[in-house]
Amino acid sequence: MEEIMTTSQGCESDMDCSDNECYEDYYNINDDSDIEQVDPRKVDPEYFEFKCLYEEEVDRLLNETVETLSNILHIPPSLAKVLLHGHQWNIEEVTRKYHDNPSNTLITSKIEPVTTHSNIIMGRYMCCPVCVMPHPVDKFHSLTCGHLFCRDCWTMHFEVQINQGISTGIACMARECDVLAPEDFVLRHLTRPNMREKYQQFSFQDHVKSHPELRFCPGPNCSIVVHGREIKAKRAICTQCKTTFCFKCGCDYHAPTDCQVIKKWLTKCADDSETANYISAHTKDCPKCHICIEKNGGCNHMQCYNCKHDFCWMCLGDWKSHGSEYYECSRYRENPNIAHESVHAQAREALKKYLHYYERWENHSKSLKLEEQTLGKLRSRINQKVMSGLGTWIDWQYLFTAANLLAKCRYTLQYTYPYAYYMDAGPRKELFEYQQAQLEAEIENLSWKIERAETTDRGDLENQMDIAEKRRTTLLKDFLDV
Amino acid sequence: MANIAAQRIKREFKEVIKSEEVAKCAIKVELVNDSYTELKGEIAGPPDTPYEGGTFVLEIKVPETYPFNPPKVRFMTKIWHPNISSVTGAICLDILKDQWAAAMTLRTVLLSLQALLSAAEPDDPQDAVVAKQYRENLEMFQITARHWTNVYAGGPHVNSDCDDKIRRLVDMGIEEHQARAALSSYNWDLERATEQLFS
Ligand SMILES: [Zn+2]
Ligand SMILES: [Zn+2]
Ligand SMILES: [Zn+2]
Ligand SMILES: [Zn+2]
Ligand SMILES: [Zn+2]
Ligand SMILES: [Zn+2]
Repeated sequence: MEEIMTTSQGCESDMDCSDNECYEDYYNINDDSDIEQVDPRKVDPEYFEFKCLYEEEVDRLLNETVETLSNILHIPPSLAKVLLHGHQWNIEEVTRKYHDNPSNTLITSKIEPVTTHSNIIMGRYMCCPVCVMPHPVDKFHSLTCGHLFCRDCWTMHFEVQINQGISTGIACMARECDVLAPEDFVLRHLTRPNMREKYQQFSFQDHVKSHPELRFCPGPNCSIVVHGREIKAKRAICTQCKTTFCFKCGCDYHAPTDCQVIKKWLTKCADDSETANYISAHTKDCPKCHICIEKNGGCNHMQCYNCKHDFCWMCLGDWKSHGSEYYECSRYRENPNIAHESVHAQAREALKKYLHYYERWENHSKSLKLEEQTLGKLRSRINQKVMSGLGTWIDWQYLFTAANLLAKCRYTLQYTYPYAYYMDAGPRKELFEYQQAQLEAEIENLSWKIERAETTDRGDLENQMDIAEKRRTTLLKDFLDV
Repeated sequence: MANIAAQRIKREFKEVIKSEEVAKCAIKVELVNDSYTELKGEIAGPPDTPYEGGTFVLEIKVPETYPFNPPKVRFMTKIWHPNISSVTGAICLDILKDQWAAAMTLRTVLLSLQALLSAAEPDDPQDAVVAKQYRENLEMFQITARHWTNVYAGGPHVNSDCDDKIRRLVDMGIEEHQARAALSSYNWDLERATEQLFS
């Protein structure tokens, strides 16, 4: 039995139960008298069922589908494979199309020609139109189209195509004939073992790519294929190499932003990298005493080592104004009269707006890296504590759980900025920015507490973890639209 | 060179030489070396096109994997056409790329190129500037293509207006072909071409 993975993690369900909603669930469930029936899809907006498969398992899965179709339509498996590959492995669609109009389906799938070529064979020898050499008639083979070529030419044709990375798309050698060579025909003509292997490798890749429920793990040198139950922009984690990615597009996971928007955003960032470069500074001046401050942790809540002034790294505003009430720092205030301004003013405004979002996007990405370093330092400090008898690793485990949760929250927060950038103004954007601000505030609180973890009260820290994750889930529940 | 490739080229060479198109002087091939890896092709500009009366020379390089891969063909004669680069002579034609079939021959390639001169495909351009002119100002395109045919391919239609404008730029120290290319790109607007050349 393969193990079905989900991206929910154990600690989250514990936290969910401290929530009022869960109490409601608890009472509802009592009515149904079955506690086990909580649908994780409703509780966890990121819930995703998937399996990590090895090549052999993928082969088995594909072959089962091929066999099923082959039995339904009474056609050879190699043709069933071509049909499925051309129809995103949608067995119902192929079956329906085939029953409606079998010959048309075979023609549009390039299994059969529009018109068959008839050969007039006289004598025992024939001239092959490709190598222009005479060969015995029985050395000639053709696809369903009837275009005859000698065995050696077929072999050469396949080898040349395979060396160019082509496998499932190899067509007949005749002019204006696009009938595809099915797998069994190709393999019958490939004698060299390395060529057969290459062909099978390439066609395997083609088949996985044409199957919407399958996705190659994007991790380096990883051969795992992820099989998802639904084709959605959900988070998949490779069990082999631990790479996390979006199941739909195969790129870095990007909730709440969707696949097209994140692509647009990343292209924009790459195009505008020059403009945004000056942001990369790691130092800023304290807004009160103007001493130069370097950012060496992930937290945006800065305290000047000179005058002890608490300020925000992003906007340089007083940290007190960032309090729990309404965190305005993440929101961009557009000029309401911009439509009446000059083209130059509009261009300046557009750049200002982009930089606002880019700066925050970039800052969270950097914070993630800095917090990773913090975690490394934390690990060695705890190691010392354990060595000198101050508790066991298990006693300090909660700190790592907290650090992991912080990374997860900050990651989502980072990806809220492209989402907000492309959002139209209106009540929905206001709600989004409100929730984003709340998440932002709680994450900075959590980061602040983790940086001072050894002196922070454990209960206090765990409470903060709970709040931050709650904010994250709430935002995703409302805006992760997949 | 692989055996099949040489065999095929020899055979195709004969096929072209004996073909009825050669008899009508429409196409021609010549060997460049003894090894059959490089040939020189020629096609006549088709009638009722701006290329009429011109002779266009092609460079044909035969790859090791011929005929399983297409020959590499390029215009040696400068030509003004949406699917052919006015700078390098590179050609955008499906049969020279993914629509190649091993059963095609040099003769089919030459005839397809001739057909391309009769019917451009501006939606699949090789030269964006030419394609834009073709779509937006067909008359200007025809004037330009005919002028290039006259100058580079021996076509009969002299256009004195074009020649005058080029001479003006040459007098200013611009190289002749550079002047022609700039004027062609700017619909023979002398002022804009000058501006571009001196900017
Ligand atoms: Zn042959
Ligand atoms: Zn065929
Ligand atoms: Zn992996
Ligand atoms: Zn995606
Ligand atoms: Zn200060
Ligand atoms: Zn701020």
